[in-house]
Amino acid sequence: MSASAFAIDASGLCLSYDARRVLDDLSLSVPAGAVVGLVGPNGSGKSTLLRCLLGLSVADSGESHLLGCPSLLLDDPTRERLGYVAQTPDLFEWMEAWEHIETIGRAYANWSPERAARLAVQLGLPLGATAGSLSVGDQQKLAVVLALSHDPDLVLMDEPVASLDPIARRAFMRTLFAYREDGAAPRTVLISSHQLGDLERVVSHVAFMRAGRIQLMDEWDALIEHVRVVAGPPPAGALHVARDGRALVDLRRTPCAVEGSPVGLDELFVLLNT
Amino acid sequence: MRFDILPSSTEPIYRQIVEQVRRHVASGRSRPGEELPSVRALAETHAINPMTVSKAYSLLESEGLLQRRRGVGMVVALRGRPMPAAQRLALLEPALVEAARQAGQLGVGDADALHLFEKCLRRQQTTRTRQKLSEEKP
Repeated sequence: MSASAFAIDASGLCLSYDARRVLDDLSLSVPAGAVVGLVGPNGSGKSTLLRCLLGLSVADSGESHLLGCPSLLLDDPTRERLGYVAQTPDLFEWMEAWEHIETIGRAYANWSPERAARLAVQLGLPLGATAGSLSVGDQQKLAVVLALSHDPDLVLMDEPVASLDPIARRAFMRTLFAYREDGAAPRTVLISSHQLGDLERVVSHVAFMRAGRIQLMDEWDALIEHVRVVAGPPPAGALHVARDGRALVDLRRTPCAVEGSPVGLDELFVLLNT
Repeated sequence: MRFDILPSSTEPIYRQIVEQVRRHVASGRSRPGEELPSVRALAETHAINPMTVSKAYSLLESEGLLQRRRGVGMVVALRGRPMPAAQRLALLEPALVEAARQAGQLGVGDADALHLFEKCLRRQQTTRTRQKLSEEKP
């Protein structure tokens, strides 16, 4: 990898639509090999962030790099190593699933029909149906196969499993790690999702987003081990104080005399956003 | 070796794996030389991140409880002998201290708490028997 050890490196991103600030001086650094859950309420800017990182939207200011390459100047060798699942997949209604996979796949040097077929089978995607006749869930499966068939090193996914049932979501999570070429370094993944129970299985890191900023990002194991929720008067140096008066403290920064309770991803999400 | 992974637990997944291996070895249910599932297999089974499994195995290896054997993968190390009952009880104590604390907070009486624990033990026994039977089936 080039100069930076970060697969994703963004700093100072700002973007406004009309008068609304969607990204507000956002910085994010994702180490190579990390699987990062990007979580935040609807409208917090997750999709816009993913689009900016990929150069599909242009930030008003700030800069970002993917695999060491500027987002707005992604060259072919870098594109070859990227996969993206958009919130609403761009599909041709009249085209069959397998035709999509072949047509789009052939644009990549590293595309393999075997890998594509195995991914499709693992996800239970009907290959002979036209995209227009697929359910929303099956369209998402197709988008995932399209994003992973060339064995990318970095994948950005925007709500890829929103319409999948729990069994298909399990299968999806397995595909994140499967069918890598032998000896390839672990894939870096940035995935936005509201399926927090799913994320808990696979993430190495969680980035909490709120109002156009990254509010908190850390290794998930570290957050479970060190973040506690405490009732009563909020201690100095609390990470966040929720509206109901409960406070989140990081024991590494605020060794806390008051006994707190550990907190899961669901609860952490709620507390950080109220 | 069979693992119970609870992704939504407030105990990190790698720690769940580490503790379960420790308990398996301490109880003598896993003997030195027993193979562990490969990183990939364990991750696939539970749809979890392979790096989480690697992290758990590496920790256990550095503790000397597991050993990396060429061509086989991870096995229970020679020093991974069953523990005497007193030590196994000591491993159990923290969980019971926590349960006792919560019983106090909830105002549950001692007799009721003990009765509940006995019930849990019996339920565990049934589960284990059922697992054994399903494993013995060809």
